[in-house]
Amino acid sequence: MSEGRHYNGQTMVEVSKDPVTALEKRLGTEWMHLRKAREVSAAKRQEIARLAVGLDSEDTSIVVSGSLARDEFTNGSDIDWSLLIDGSADPKHYDLLRKIGSVIDTLAAKSPGPEGTFGKMVFSHGLIHEIGGEDDTNLNTTRRLLLLLESRAVGRDVAHNKVVRGILDRYLLEDRGFWRGSGHRVPRFLQNDFARYWRTMTVDFAYKLRNRGGKEWAIRNIKLRMSRKLLYISGLLACYRCHLDYDEIERARVYGDAGMRFEVIKRLQSIFRATPLEIVSGVLLRYPHLDASATKVLGAYDGFVGILSDSQQRKRLEDLKEDEADDDETYQKARSLSHDFRDGLLEVFFDEKSGMCNLTRNYGVF
Amino acid sequence: MRPIGFSTGALAYSNFREGLRMLGQTEVQAVELSALRQGELYPLLQAIHSLDLSRFDYISIHVPSQFEAGWESVMWRLIVGGVPGGWPIVLHPDAIGDFGLWRELGASVCVENMDKRKPVGRSVGELARIFEELPDATLCFDIGHARQFDPTMTEAWLILREFGSKLRQVHVSEVNTRSKHDCLSYASILAFQEVAHLIPESVPLILETPVLEGDMGAEIYKVREALPINRTTMAA
Repeated sequence: MSEGRHYNGQTMVEVSKDPVTALEKRLGTEWMHLRKAREVSAAKRQEIARLAVGLDSEDTSIVVSGSLARDEFTNGSDIDWSLLIDGSADPKHYDLLRKIGSVIDTLAAKSPGPEGTFGKMVFSHGLIHEIGGEDDTNLNTTRRLLLLLESRAVGRDVAHNKVVRGILDRYLLEDRGFWRGSGHRVPRFLQNDFARYWRTMTVDFAYKLRNRGGKEWAIRNIKLRMSRKLLYISGLLACYRCHLDYDEIERARVYGDAGMRFEVIKRLQSIFRATPLEIVSGVLLRYPHLDASATKVLGAYDGFVGILSDSQQRKRLEDLKEDEADDDETYQKARSLSHDFRDGLLEVFFDEKSGMCNLTRNYGVF
Repeated sequence: MRPIGFSTGALAYSNFREGLRMLGQTEVQAVELSALRQGELYPLLQAIHSLDLSRFDYISIHVPSQFEAGWESVMWRLIVGGVPGGWPIVLHPDAIGDFGLWRELGASVCVENMDKRKPVGRSVGELARIFEELPDATLCFDIGHARQFDPTMTEAWLILREFGSKLRQVHVSEVNTRSKHDCLSYASILAFQEVAHLIPESVPLILETPVLEGDMGAEIYKVREALPINRTTMAA
């Protein structure tokens, strides 16, 4: 819920402050699980901020990711967090990290995952400078793109904002085609990294299964089909919005003026302040002819969050073995939701009337 | 208990009357009257005798660090004529052009160690060169500057060990990477605790943290936590 009314050149585009609720209202439906998760997420973030007051600074932000940042937190969710540092190296940062960890541990249902992505210090330099190449490890890519796609500072956000801005500067200012081209204005450097990250997640799904002997297979599978896919499509849509948010005349004006570059980057940063579901809903709100698809996408996602917020169903997915899946009611229900989600997304991304199909052919395929 | 107070500049920038009014709501014993820019010194000196400062046991004045070339001697004359005797005059070393002028003021001159942007006065070695020129001058130890310059607090420890006998007051704040004063964070509290024992109990702590009126008490509490008094505190 980050954006308000913004000026879109000659066309004023109304961007709802709460696009998920606005879409829900327009479709005449009720996504009660999403609503509940939003409330739980906000309360949990507030609780962390209250307990961690004074632990952050202008040079350090406590950043949450995952379901807590996406407004999809449920009682069984873990709290993915990191200490983002954009300042001088300081031996005391380790003590600070431990202190924050001890605060968050009192509020979390379980510890962050064993990959070592969370509960750690993260330094701005690696995130901003190491994009691509040997030094851009799986971990660095993950941290960088999660910072764009699903992160929120709990408490002071100066360091968080600066780092996100630094990352977007790299992706956009170094994308020659984005500024010099004459056709679509989609930042391909950034979009390619989102695509790379999405494929990395899918490959790592197989890796983690092997590495953990199939443990938590079902819940990982469903999350890949739903929340991980949502991350990717929200990134893709954020990139598309660099094109879709302007009409033809305005696009020529904005992208033809080098002085507007920082305005474009600032605007993209404001898009990423929204949650992935808000980004998707914000785009769907513009196209009433896609309401049936919107119902499928958001309805399925509401069902998915509903399953995760039900402790019995969640436990069932966590414990389910692969060879039991065909006959398991919870898994089959979740799988069916994932099919609705996929089908709705395919309708949206290959829709001719909105121009999405053209963008997807050009950017989402090759 | 350590004497504690605020810089009026941290509370209300150049509006020293507003800063003093805010301090009236607290039970602090110390104050630093702040005139950091050239245009702020004369109005402050003009007003000094009309200000009710009777509640403070310790008063210092922070004189400008930014001024036009050639104004140093004007500033010096204003200070000599307008600052009550015995008040420490907090001076940035990079503002000194003519050491001879300041040498005359002896122990009243209170030299502040600098943040990492400045070319002088940051480390024990750089301060030593200043004190060679001003042998009677005292030290305003800015613990936030020292931490920003060296987060390990080694330089802070060295400065206090070397110049502890000159210590007149301590500036307390967190100094971030943009060299701006900020409220104390958990990390800065831990860092400050490492050298707290080198600061005698009688040395006033002047907070330079920009706080709202309602948050002053909480910030004082944090500073007391950062610089506790214990039995091992070394006498200067």
